[in-house]
Formats: sequence, structure tokens, C-alpha cells
Amino acid sequence: MIRQPNSILGNRQLLVTMGKKGELFGFFYPGRDFAQHIEESQACLYEGNRLIWSNDHEWHASQRYVENSNIVNTELVHQCGLRMHIQDLVHTDQPILVRNYRISPSRKFQGKFFYYSNLQVGEMQKKNSAFCDRDSGLLVQYWKDFHIGISSRPVFEEWQIGKALDTVWWTNAKYDMENGKLQNNLEDIGNINNAIGWELDIDADSTAEITILICAASTRQLLYRSIRDIRNETVESMFDQTYESGLKWLSRKRPLELKGFPGFEFVKLELTEAFNRSLLALGILNDPTRGTFVAAPEFDHDFEKSGGYGYCWNRDSSEIVIALLDSGYPEYCERFFSWCKKTQLPDGSWFQRYWLDGNAGSSWGNFSFSTQIDETGSTLFAMEKYYGSLEPILKKEFLDNIWGTILSAAEYLMRRTPGGMHEPCICLWETHQGVFTYTNAAIYGGLMGASRMAMDHNETELANWWRERAELIKEQTIERFWLPDEGYFARGIRHGSIDKEIDASILGTFMPFNMLSAEDEKEREMIHSIISNLESRLRVPVNRYYGIRRYEKDTYIDGNPWTVTTLWLSKAMLSLAGSMKERDEGTKKSGEWKTMATGALEYILWSLRGTTCAGMLPEQVNKYTGRPAWAIPLSWSCALMLQNIILLDGLG
Amino acid sequence: MVRDLCMFSKADKEAEVIWFKIAYRNTVHSEADISSLFAEKGLDMRFAYLDSLENPSIGKYVIFTEVEKGRDVSSVVTELKGLDVVLDVEYGTSRNQVMQSVEFPLSLFGERAIILRARTFVDILRIVNEHVPQAEGIQMHTGIRSGTAAVRLLREFIDIDENNCFDLLKELFMASGWGLLEYDIDIRSLTGSIRNRDCFIYDAYKENEFPVCAYISGFFAGFISEATKRTVQVQEVQCMATGDTFCEHLLSPAPGSTGAEHILKGELT
Repeated sequence: MIRQPNSILGNRQLLVTMGKKGELFGFFYPGRDFAQHIEESQACLYEGNRLIWSNDHEWHASQRYVENSNIVNTELVHQCGLRMHIQDLVHTDQPILVRNYRISPSRKFQGKFFYYSNLQVGEMQKKNSAFCDRDSGLLVQYWKDFHIGISSRPVFEEWQIGKALDTVWWTNAKYDMENGKLQNNLEDIGNINNAIGWELDIDADSTAEITILICAASTRQLLYRSIRDIRNETVESMFDQTYESGLKWLSRKRPLELKGFPGFEFVKLELTEAFNRSLLALGILNDPTRGTFVAAPEFDHDFEKSGGYGYCWNRDSSEIVIALLDSGYPEYCERFFSWCKKTQLPDGSWFQRYWLDGNAGSSWGNFSFSTQIDETGSTLFAMEKYYGSLEPILKKEFLDNIWGTILSAAEYLMRRTPGGMHEPCICLWETHQGVFTYTNAAIYGGLMGASRMAMDHNETELANWWRERAELIKEQTIERFWLPDEGYFARGIRHGSIDKEIDASILGTFMPFNMLSAEDEKEREMIHSIISNLESRLRVPVNRYYGIRRYEKDTYIDGNPWTVTTLWLSKAMLSLAGSMKERDEGTKKSGEWKTMATGALEYILWSLRGTTCAGMLPEQVNKYTGRPAWAIPLSWSCALMLQNIILLDGLG
Repeated sequence: MVRDLCMFSKADKEAEVIWFKIAYRNTVHSEADISSLFAEKGLDMRFAYLDSLENPSIGKYVIFTEVEKGRDVSSVVTELKGLDVVLDVEYGTSRNQVMQSVEFPLSLFGERAIILRARTFVDILRIVNEHVPQAEGIQMHTGIRSGTAAVRLLREFIDIDENNCFDLLKELFMASGWGLLEYDIDIRSLTGSIRNRDCFIYDAYKENEFPVCAYISGFFAGFISEATKRTVQVQEVQCMATGDTFCEHLLSPAPGSTGAEHILKGELT
């Protein structure tokens, strides 16, 4: 089932996704992409003869992160006067989710507190096993080398492990809760679910507190050890540690001044929060041991409406590591490029997408005509960006280490561009097949980057060869795809003819690949014209401003405006404004500068209005409601937000 | 509470269907007065229903007539409105003459309802059986939910317990067209069997290698458990789809706990 998270939590081993009423949607361990062990996990109150689930429509919910941390507070207020406060955090060192529940009724409450879980350990609906260790106060469900344990403070008083979907229906833990008393079955196998319970007797305006600990481990022994290791830690101390770890992480970020723009002084705090939230989210979406990122926590496991998002695309990860580099976190580049070195295909390219462990992801790009050549270009482009940021001594070390990868990737791009423009492949949106402006720009960026690195590596001949090819690609792209009457690039060639549909990805000719330079007067005019056309033809009015669609006939998930394309446009506008400042300080407040900077800020604020209430940036915003629509949080959106704010800060 | 209706007909092509929805003051002669007027005016009543249960003082009389094309019935409406028992008249012409319905949406026990062919329901079951793991469990759980909800709705109108729940179940099945039930139950121990002699699932499913009425078993289990407040298990042991002359569902109290022995379904009964 497709469910879009409202917030995420995690540490080095755990990624948890959560709905806005505190219901768990995803529990990924040990990787960010695999395995997802939870189908349903949430609290439920039993009062008299009815169950009040924490995700019932009768609760009014609000959810926010504790500032500068990955700790989530969820407030639920029921129309009958009950209040449920849930504080979720992930332990700093152990793969343990800590869920602190505080329940306060407005009148005396007498009943039960249940915590129900439908676990599918190892992503397996079948062949799971579960048992309840009464002495240790631990309920364990496992499959092969995945073990999930549920314990609590205070220790639960009753429990049930039963068949989730069998004809022995009365053993089902969910049904078992309905009479307010659990059967205490000790063990079961198959497709199973479980519940634990407590008597709850709360006076009016008093508070009862129960903490659920959900732990993951590879063996039963390690599971017990993890639970044992934290037995002396209070919830408050775990909160403090997690909070401090967030602060520590953010203390390394690039300092931001964010001097106000006329009329926008009020957004400084909002932008700072968005910057910090994007950094914190990316920290969780990264696999710290392998070095790469999931595009988004997987939410479409069965590929019902998409191809899924819980994979690494080189295109996305290249953008992310550069954004993190610019934000003050260079180590992500190092780790990602090491990962790239290991995962590069024998022909020098990178696959459409990968599992984070480097295995090929399920793909519809298995052939040379269905691959996405831009991903190899993006990777080389990002490598050179990182290379350019290094001190001289580190530059040499990096180049010595990665030269073989660069050589192989650049030669792949050379082979795929024998006449200048690239051979037919799939576009970055994974929608069309043909020859594309964006892909050519990415190859241009990759080859130019490779050329500069080759020059430093004393490979002058190769450097010149790659640079000449890049220049040829640029020349041909402008000659064949630029539409002088319309003032923008065609998308490319499809089915043998020019496809003139305007596509936001043509921004790639300027940002990030710099095929068009803002320093060149003619090219600067072209950039302006592209921006103007995109604004007039792709913008969608929602949330008190405009979001930008990918292209005119986009039908993917209703053709919503995307946070990615909107922030991509604003990034281009800010870069243009930045180049003007550098060129002419005296006319800083010129109309053009103001138009670009103000317009970009409006798009950034539009993107912030399209986040979840917890501040997660989606891929898309619903064009009718203005609410986050799809793929939450999207790491590419987070990266673009970082880059936008850095550029904005540079303009101040 | 009255179930709303929809009428399916094949009318005379040279005629058209005109419907009347009449609100009337409920007296012992009101319906007769209205019907007499229709006869007097030569309006051929082909289908009708009336309801004065929901509101005993104001009745609703819906009449579908077949008349020659182009006939103006406004004068009849005026005369209808002139009757001292008639409070209001709505009327209209049905052009397609195949499906006529005055009421929308349909409701059952005060909740939204739809009319579904047995074949459509069975098509869903077939697809679930072919493609979904634990299809039998899904159908049974759906049935349990439906059966439980049915008792909760019925309780708004009648007290239900172990003494009348089987009769109510039988009436419900017949009224809803699901089947003709016979039961042989020891009410004290809640053991015995329920036979369904004309099961709608079989009627659309026809022959199959395995029993197909898990939804019905679930409905029985949910209905009886909710009505008696004792948890029962129900399993279909004979099915018309596998060649038996009737479907038979065995009923017994659910075991107090589950153990390895219950994993083998054969031991459940």
C-alpha cells in the first residue's frame, strides 16, 4: 500500500518513516533501502467496548520536529477529550526506536493501552516467527538474520501473537484487542501480528506514560544485548543524547547570514530551519557505510504507481553530495565517489539505479538504448566539482585514486557521442527515448570536468580530446536544439524529429552544467529567455504562488508542479543574479537583479509551503490542494533547497 | 426502514414509462384512493412500492406506469394533488425504458448500499483467489467484518442473542438473496452445522476444485460471535462448487488458545 510519510527518523543503522499521527510506515534496517520490516505499528486505546486507534480520523493531529534535531513530537487530541503526546527518537548508538507515549484524559479514563504491530520481518509476509519472552519483557519477531524486538517501560502486562490473515481468525492480535483482553499466546509462525497491553487507569487531567522500544538486530543475541545495553538509560537521557547529536551535526554547517531582502525579512528563520531540516534529512537518507543515498525512503514497494524510489540514482546522489560539500560536509563526496568506483560498469558507465550495496536496482534501463547517459555525465561533473574544492595535496591523492574511474567514464561518453550529440537513450525523467538537450548538457559538463582533471593529471592529449568533444556537443546542441523564434531549447529529437515541448530540464544547460555561461552576453540572453519561457508556460498557481511542472504534457501523478523543478528554476535565477552582482556591484539593485532574486525567493517560499507539517520536502506538490503529493522526503529536493539557500545567502 | 428499489424492465417500444412519487397522509384508504384514480384515468401501473414505515404519518408511494407516447399527464397530476390525502406529487418520464429509479442513493439500514450482481462479486473473489496469497483468509476476514457489522446494525432495531440469531441469520440471507439456510445447532454448546441450499457464490462461481464460500463462513463467524458474545469458528466442509448438493459450514467454539496443532486446519474441526 502506498503511504506518504510525514516525517523520518534514523541513525547509522536505522531509517524510520512515520505518518502524521505517529503511525509507523517504514522501519528500514540495516540499509536505507532494505529490509523494510513494518506493515503497521501504532498505539490503540481501549475504553469500555471500543478501540481508539491512534490513526483514527477522530484525532486532530499536529507533528513537528524538535528544532535542530531528528526528534519528532506528535500531538493527538481526540474529540472525546483524550490527548496523546508521542515523542519519537532513534537512539544515537543502537538501532532502537524509542516511542514515548503520554496520555492525558479530560475525564477519568479506565481501560487499556495497546501497542499493535504487524511486522513483516525481512520484507517477508510469510515464514516469520515470533515469541514472547515474559522474563525479559521482550516480544521478538524474526526471519533469517533479521530480528525485531519490542520491549517497553514499564514492562507490558499482556500480549498476543497470532495469525494475521488465517482462518483461525480469533488468534489475530487485532481482533484479540477488541474485547480488551489479550490471549498471551507465547509463540507462532507464518503471517503473524502482535499486540502488547497495559491496564490504564488515569484520573482527569493526570498523565500516564508508556515507552515502547523497537529494536533491530541481526541475531537474537545481539538483540538482547542492545536492549540490555540501554536498560540503565532513561528516556530523558536518550532524548538529550539524540538532541545533542543533532546539534553537533549541524554545528559543522556553513555559516549563514541570510541578510534580509526588502519585504522578505520575516523569512530568515524559516530559511534557516529549512536549511537545517534538509541537512538533517539527508544525513538520515545516506548510507554511512556505503556512501550513497536513497532518492527517497521507499513508499511504493510494489511499484503500483511508480518504479519506486528506494534506490540510488547517480544523477540524484551527485547533486546531493555537491550540495553537502557546499554546505560544509565534504566527506559525503569522498564516500560517494568511492562507491562510484566500485559500482562503475565495465563499459565505464553507471547503471540506471542501484541498491545501496552496489547491486543493480530493478530497472527498465538494461540496454544501451534504454540507459540514461546523463548519469555518467553527472557523476564526472560532480567528481570535478569536488576535486576543485580540494587542497593541492589532496587533489593529487584523489586523482591518483580515482583516475581509472574518470578515464573509463569519459571514454564511455566519447563512445556514446561519436558525432557530437549523444546516441539515443532515455531522458532524465525516465519517460522519453531519444536525444536530449539535458543529456547533452550533462555529457558536456562531465567531459569538461574530466578534461580539467586530465590536464592536472598530465594527460594533456586526453584533456584536449575530451574538451574538444564537449565543445562540439555544445555547438551542435545550440545549433540543432535552440529554437530562436521561441527562445528556448527543444527537448530534443524523438522518433526522428525535433520535439519542441518545453521541458524544465533544459535548465541543465546553465545549471548545473554551465554549458551556457552567464558571463557571455549572448548566452546570458539565452538563459534569460529560457527562464522566461519556463515561467510563462510551466508554472501552476497553487499555495499563493507558482510551482513549476516538468513539462507541458506531464501526466505522471496528475502532472503536479515539482519541488525539484521549482527549486531548479530558482537556483538558476539566483545564479544569474549572483553573476550580475559579481559583474557590476554598482547596479546591484537594478531591476534585473531584483526580479531574479525576488522571483527566486518566491519559488523557495512556495516550496516551503509544500512541505509536510513536519517540514519534509516532497518531490511534488498537489496542484489542487497545495499539499505535499509524492516521494517524501525527496533527497534531490533537499539538496536543491540547500543550494538555493546558499546562493541566496551569497546575494545578501 | 425500507430498502430503496430500482426497476429493470423491457417496456413496449411504442409506449413510455412515466413515474410518480407521491407523498400522502397515511390513512387506511389513502393507497386505495390513489390507485383508484390511476385506474380511472387509464394509467397502466406496471410496478410500484410504498412505504409508511419510516414515517407512519406520511407515506411514500412510487408508481411506474406505461402509457402511450406523448401523453400529457399534467391533468392527472393536478387531480392527484386535489385528493385530500395527497401532500405532494413528483413525476417524470423515463426515456430509455430499461432502468428506472426514483431514489438515489440506495440505502440499507440507513447506510449507503449498492446493487451488485452475484457474478461481479464472484469476479472479485476469483481474482483474489488467483492472485493473492492467503486469499481464503482475506475472504474470511472480510466476511467476519461484514457479519459483525450486520449484527451491530440489526441491534438498532431488535435485541439479538443466541436464541434468535440463527433465525435472523436465515431471514437476512433470504432477504438479501444470499441463500436459503437450514441449521442444526446446539445453542448451549454452539456446535452444529449451517447448510446453504442456494448459495449465491456457487451460483456464479460454478464448479471449482476447492470450496469457495470462505466469505460466507466468515460472515457466519462474525455474525454469531457478535450476536452470542462467544467466539466461534466456522469452516466450510461441503461446497456446491465442489459437487456437493449443498454448502455446509461447521460451527464450533474457537479454541481458547492457538498452538502448533491449530496450524493444521484439518484439526480445527
